Amino acid sequence: MSILSRFLTVSTIDPDDTRRRRILNILVASVGILSFIALTIFLGSVIFKVESWANVSLVIIGSAVTVVGSVIIYLINYFWSGRIAATIFLVFLTFVFAFSDTPTQVASGRSLFAFAIPIIMASILLVPWSSFVFSSLSGIIISIIAASVDRVPNVPAIIGFFVIALVSWLSARSLEQALNELRIINMNLDHVVVERTQALTESLERERIEAGRNQAILNSIADGVVVFDTKWNAILANPALKSMLDLPLELIVNKNFRDLIEHPRLSPKSRGLLYAMLEHDTQPPSFRVEWGKKTLSISAAQVYDNSKDKNTNIGTVTVFRDFTREAEVEKLKSTFVAIVSHELRTPLNAVLGYAEMFKEAVYGPMNEKQVNMADRIMKNTQRLLGLINDLLDQAQMEAGKLTIQMSPFRPAELLENIHGVMDQIVHGKGLKLTSEIDDNLPEALNGDVARLQQILVNLVNNSVKFTDHGTVHVRLFCPFVNKWGMEVSDTGHGIPEPEIPYIFDTFRQVDGVATRVHGGFGLGLSIVKQLVNLMNGDIKVKSKVDRGSIFTVILPMVVPEENTEKRKNL
Amino acid sequence: MSELALIIEDDEDLANIFAEALRGVGFEVEHVADGQAGQDRLKQGSVPFLILLDMHIPHISGADLLTNIIRKDERLAKTIVIITTADARMGEAYTEQADFVMIKPISFVQLRDLTGRLRPKE
Repeated sequence: MSILSRFLTVSTIDPDDTRRRRILNILVASVGILSFIALTIFLGSVIFKVESWANVSLVIIGSAVTVVGSVIIYLINYFWSGRIAATIFLVFLTFVFAFSDTPTQVASGRSLFAFAIPIIMASILLVPWSSFVFSSLSGIIISIIAASVDRVPNVPAIIGFFVIALVSWLSARSLEQALNELRIINMNLDHVVVERTQALTESLERERIEAGRNQAILNSIADGVVVFDTKWNAILANPALKSMLDLPLELIVNKNFRDLIEHPRLSPKSRGLLYAMLEHDTQPPSFRVEWGKKTLSISAAQVYDNSKDKNTNIGTVTVFRDFTREAEVEKLKSTFVAIVSHELRTPLNAVLGYAEMFKEAVYGPMNEKQVNMADRIMKNTQRLLGLINDLLDQAQMEAGKLTIQMSPFRPAELLENIHGVMDQIVHGKGLKLTSEIDDNLPEALNGDVARLQQILVNLVNNSVKFTDHGTVHVRLFCPFVNKWGMEVSDTGHGIPEPEIPYIFDTFRQVDGVATRVHGGFGLGLSIVKQLVNLMNGDIKVKSKVDRGSIFTVILPMVVPEENTEKRKNL
Repeated sequence: MSELALIIEDDEDLANIFAEALRGVGFEVEHVADGQAGQDRLKQGSVPFLILLDMHIPHISGADLLTNIIRKDERLAKTIVIITTADARMGEAYTEQADFVMIKPISFVQLRDLTGRLRPKE
């Protein structure tokens, strides 16, 4: 089959030319083979004396010429030009038909139809319009033959040939157009395929590079990373995790998180923490576990796939960080804070005590100047103690160590204590300290009484510091449902409007220079603000220069279940 | 006869000041400087009328001494215990067991006035 196909096909760059030459080859080959068969049969009949040479000589010669012609046309078609071969073939065919019958039959008889064959073939083998050329040629030949036998040419037949030519022309043309369009579509399709293939190759390459880069990043970061699917099976872990946990990756990847939690190196407390995280699915953003001698900080984040317009949880990424050193430093820091707190306060307490003993004339009478001096020592020592307390509070808050401990207390107690602590200082400056408590405030509340007291002392202290004449007033009240408030108002200097946003900043006082005039680090209000925040409360300031300021603290109201509890305190 | 006050305090200066305050209102004062000495003293000898107990002391902590010795000793049932601490939280935690809690810094006058009120009138 392929040999036959190779025999018939002429490869050229023009696909139409190839198609036409192939069709011509098929036709020429068919004609050649049929003629060859006819030649063989008639030659055989002469040789075996079935027919006389005179009877069949014309057929034999015709067949032989056709065979030779076919071969020549085939060779021209194959090696030279399809058009010339086709023209020769069609002209040859037309003439064969013209002389294959008696002139009468050709001009207007049984052989007339034969002329239609080259006309139709022309539109296929040559350009479409060539069918008109061959219909004209046929018309001329018929007319000449008719004239030679003194007959009128068969005009309807000639017109018929033109109609056939028209139909062939139309069909060949539409066939060629359809083929052309198909070819263009094919070409475009090829183009698209090439483009797509290229894009796909590029994107695959990009993805490969990206994946490689991600892997490289994952491999080189110092934090341990492990990715879990929704069932807490580890699907990925990086080498940092391996060295951090000191476990081969095979014991981590493709294992369930529970296997890791059960590892004996994990402290029992940490195990409980991790199980709680698994079971309740509530993950604090970050927490610490003890792994052998190491302290690890774990941050877990759920991963969501939002590519398909829906937020589906597809797993969890957990990042392990070696927190051992930080934990040690933190422990040291808190020990340091505790020691400093104790060690600084004790000698100061002694200084204070001795100064008081002077003032109280324990060892004999003192003159006025000596008493005055003892008073100064006491005041300065108290200031120093206040500063130490503020600094320690600030340090604790920065370390996140300061926590709020709720217990029942009487709001009235706060006022009693503030008078106890501040009366002397207020009177010393020639001011008045007044207080009131709203009737609608419950008798008892839940709260951190020591810290509430601290807020109040700091606020009153602040007011006293910036007030030269008049009153400092403390009010406890109930602004709205589920809230209670503490308000400290004064008749002091007031705060300039532009400075109000900054008054709660650490280490800052209005004008910057005020620190020296009024003393202190400027930590008092900052501590108040931080304490109020820790209690989920809010603090607001209203102030007018030379008229005074009002500080209002609003806190969530929690009423204890048992309203009374006996307290022993000084 | 004056009542006995026992000061358990490791800081010598503070102990001195406390002693002066207590003597000032008529107490007879004894001082020990650590938890072990405090425990030894409490197990024998005369029963103090008042104990001024620092919570941060060497060997046996003030908290231990309070919970395991003082509050378990029948002889000390009537003794008034004042604990002293710099840690307000710790003070809070022992309000039930102590009669009074004083947060450091402790004022000489404050201690003198308080103990003066506690001492039975003659």
